Amino acid sequence: MKFGRVALVLAAATALQFFVGGSRHRGAWPIDAFLIATAIVARGGNASRAILAGGALGFLEDAFAQELLGMNAFAKAALGYVFAILSVRVVFGGAWAVGASLAAASIVNDVIVALLSLLILRAPLVLFSPESLWTAAATGVTGGLLEASRVFPWRDWWERRRLRRLR
Amino acid sequence: MSTSSTEILQGRPRRSGLLLACVLAGCVLLLSAQAPGAVKGHRSLLQSWILSASAPVSQLVSAVSREFWGLADRTAETFTARDENVRLKRELARSNQELFQLRARIAEEDRLKLLLSAGAALPAVRMAAPVLLIESRAGGQSALIGAGSSSGVVPGSPIAVPEGLVGRLVTVGATVSRAQLLLDASAAAGARIVRTGELGVIRGDGRGGLRLNNVATTSRVAAGDEIESAGIDGIYPRGVPIGRVAGVERGPMFLEIRVVPAAPFSRLTDVLVLEPSPALAGPGGGQGSGGP
Repeated sequence: MKFGRVALVLAAATALQFFVGGSRHRGAWPIDAFLIATAIVARGGNASRAILAGGALGFLEDAFAQELLGMNAFAKAALGYVFAILSVRVVFGGAWAVGASLAAASIVNDVIVALLSLLILRAPLVLFSPESLWTAAATGVTGGLLEASRVFPWRDWWERRRLRRLR
Repeated sequence: MSTSSTEILQGRPRRSGLLLACVLAGCVLLLSAQAPGAVKGHRSLLQSWILSASAPVSQLVSAVSREFWGLADRTAETFTARDENVRLKRELARSNQELFQLRARIAEEDRLKLLLSAGAALPAVRMAAPVLLIESRAGGQSALIGAGSSSGVVPGSPIAVPEGLVGRLVTVGATVSRAQLLLDASAAAGARIVRTGELGVIRGDGRGGLRLNNVATTSRVAAGDEIESAGIDGIYPRGVPIGRVAGVERGPMFLEIRVVPAAPFSRLTDVLVLEPSPALAGPGGGQGSGGP
């Protein structure tokens, strides 16, 4: 993925996070747009870009939401690397697989942040809260749908539809 | 196979692994520098710069989001207007009855207020501000608020809605600030059970609920009792509703009291920024991370 596209994905993720997070319906479908953006960048297979994109997005998320800067950056940089390696080395495809791995990654992200908070801030360890599980599910489903729409043969579908209308 | 895939399979992993190690080490160093006990002030400064720099984007996107969801809500409301009208008429009739009864009580209330005025600490509202973003991760619950130092807001200012207490500002940028919500697992506030007058410490459980701690097992607290801020923590003013007791269990030393928050945290769109406690007005006030 080219740098221009990476920048576009990062900007879109930030805008989406504010678009959903600023509405009063935020609890209905609480996706982790930053994690999805990290996965999109990692999908290209370039681990370095995935690490940097994940780190940058995590850092931004920390600035908006965390007491300390670096916790989400740590988690998302590591997840970006894992995603990039997975997308290249493992025979891994399909919307279900992408959705499941994104949902798992969302939970792993939570666990890493919770452990860092416990170690550094002595904050209470809160794992697998209903909110966290719902976010993981929403992120997974959204990622799966994005993957499904990416691999869907839109051109053929459109052509078939056009031909059907002509008949 | 794409070039990047070939790169990864032919030795690039070492380079990307090195980059990952550097990024993770950088994060650990950054976290260590901000850890409690390290030099204070740096993290707030960096965070407030980032908040200020991102303010135009966050406010613009938030405004677009509000317009969009507002339009969607208004469209949906047109379909439910008739039922809503009937319900509102019923509510109005009930409210009129309550108003009649309340007017009779006002005289008595006035007399009581005179008695209590010496110790009253009614919260003063500085301004209303929009909620730009609410984030919840690993027990941490925070919000970005569209108000900052340019409107005279300072760290430590409590935020509330008419229904109840919401939290307090921890990092203040020029026009955007970050608030720690009361639901955060690290948040705490001095609280009072309205019916019995007993004091305790209310804490977020990080899962969307609250717990009232440090209430003796001899207490007569019961489900349904109202909890309000006690004004004993030097952060929150006295008398702001916090929630209602949902359940009481007996612990070894203290009661374990579950509280349902009064403020509608999941549907927050605007908050009131209250004047900070006089205890925080001094230099360096409001920089702490947790509760009292």
